[in-house]
Amino acid sequence: MSLIRRKPQRRVAIIGAGLSLFMRRALDTGKELSYYAASQALDAAGVRRKDIQAVVMATAPDAFDGVHMKGEWLLDGAGGVGKPYLRAYVGGGSGVFSIISGWMMVASGLFDLVLVVAEEKMSSCQPHPQGAFLTIFDHIIERPLGPNLLWIFSLEQQRYMAAYGIQNEDIALVSVKNKHNALAHPAAQVAAQLTVKDVLDSEVVAWPVHRLMVSPISDGAAAVVLASEHVAQRLTDHPIWIQGVGWCLDTSYWGNRDLAYPRYVEQAARMAYEMAGITEPRRQIHVAEPYDPFAYKELHHLEGLQLADRGKAPDDLAGGRFDRGGELPTCPSGGLMGVGNPIAAAGLMKICELFWQLRGEAGARQVPGNPERGLAQAWGDLMQVGTVAVLGVR
Amino acid sequence: MNLTHARVWRGTMPVQYLYTAGVAGERFFQTLRRRGVLAVTRCAECQVTYLPPRLYCERCFADLSQAWAEVAPGGRVHTYTVVCEDQDGHPLDPPQVVAFVRIDGTDGGLIGRLLRVRLQDVRVEMPVDAVLAPPRRRRGRMDDIVGFAPRRALPRRRTP
Repeated sequence: MSLIRRKPQRRVAIIGAGLSLFMRRALDTGKELSYYAASQALDAAGVRRKDIQAVVMATAPDAFDGVHMKGEWLLDGAGGVGKPYLRAYVGGGSGVFSIISGWMMVASGLFDLVLVVAEEKMSSCQPHPQGAFLTIFDHIIERPLGPNLLWIFSLEQQRYMAAYGIQNEDIALVSVKNKHNALAHPAAQVAAQLTVKDVLDSEVVAWPVHRLMVSPISDGAAAVVLASEHVAQRLTDHPIWIQGVGWCLDTSYWGNRDLAYPRYVEQAARMAYEMAGITEPRRQIHVAEPYDPFAYKELHHLEGLQLADRGKAPDDLAGGRFDRGGELPTCPSGGLMGVGNPIAAAGLMKICELFWQLRGEAGARQVPGNPERGLAQAWGDLMQVGTVAVLGVR
Repeated sequence: MNLTHARVWRGTMPVQYLYTAGVAGERFFQTLRRRGVLAVTRCAECQVTYLPPRLYCERCFADLSQAWAEVAPGGRVHTYTVVCEDQDGHPLDPPQVVAFVRIDGTDGGLIGRLLRVRLQDVRVEMPVDAVLAPPRRRRGRMDDIVGFAPRRALPRRRTP
């Protein structure tokens, strides 16, 4: 069954990317962080703010920064003053959804040059940004029990492990890989050289999730410049094309979802693959940035993305398939577990990473073999959205 | 309609915030505290002076982190209102006069209470100067500016 009515005719390219440092307790405001990333992306693309025809800003719940209607508040730092401006928002999935939104603006023929920015400043939120999540649960049925996100993740990880006989050691290896990969990332917040034992020796936050299996609280911003085909070819010899996009939301009732397998991620991926003409994703995708806010999530998502068999991603990981030099490098950036997790910005950071990887500009993080096609995925809302983008060199 | 028998669940969203002023904001407040003047940034190309100061020009996106200037904390009443009730609807006695003051030499301004003036004497475009807390009492916060008072009513003295 086809998931899209017809393949859009206008091609859209990424022609520049920018990233702020990811950190905790930044002095910089969210506007200032946005400006760093946006101005860097404009410089990299060789265009100025006046050339930009529309701006997309992705930023997750207002409760993180503590500014109600923060999309509007961030306007000037995102370069959006006096322009058509759109806040793209699907919770944690917003970073990848931001370029889906920008892609729609260019693919539709409305605009030729669109700036896409994503920001989060979580460290304002006291005593812990977890507090902002306490009110995402159903207020009558669930909130009386006081659930928080860590509970829910722990329940989901436990179900994933039970369904396939996965051990916590297998999951901890994701933290080891990503924090190691992040050592080569100049913007990284929590890069480290660790062993599985180190991860399992860190405190249990909510069994089976240990402290070092959780991404940190982060402040940061990321940005890219999107261009239509004729404008991209005028501005750069190395455009990175958005070949396919997809997104999908599962039910809002988390208790009604399959906890061991993210069907909504599969649906989003299938939409993006159809648009990109991908029939054998494991052969046709050379580098992937699946969403990894928790260690098990990377494995869970790789299975949903059809890049590993159900329940087998941990075996592939242990066998080195997902290492930077492996058959399918995953999170070569270091991901959320290593670079950090300023929610919306973390998703767009993954797009930036693919842009640099596919242009051969990733420096010490470069995956070998001249990758020609990559996939980035984010996840969020009420743990129910998958957002996917497939990028390629042609 | 009597709502006392409606079944409702009450809830709160229990978080608080620690905000930073930002790179530009921190310099603004430290300058106000130490020198009693307003730090602003200027974009030479767009001919805009930002108050509150910005690290970047929102029009051309130029980096303004090295484009600082200082202006005296005075200007003109651009508009004002007379607040007669507090947030809970209780009468304020006397009413508070709150103005938006365009600061001279900038393209921006500040909101503040109007002090040392009778209500019937307040005029739009009236020149005013900031009334600052004494240097030792300043903490690098917005309330270092106690309010604004008509220019002629202030004792003649140099900006501290």
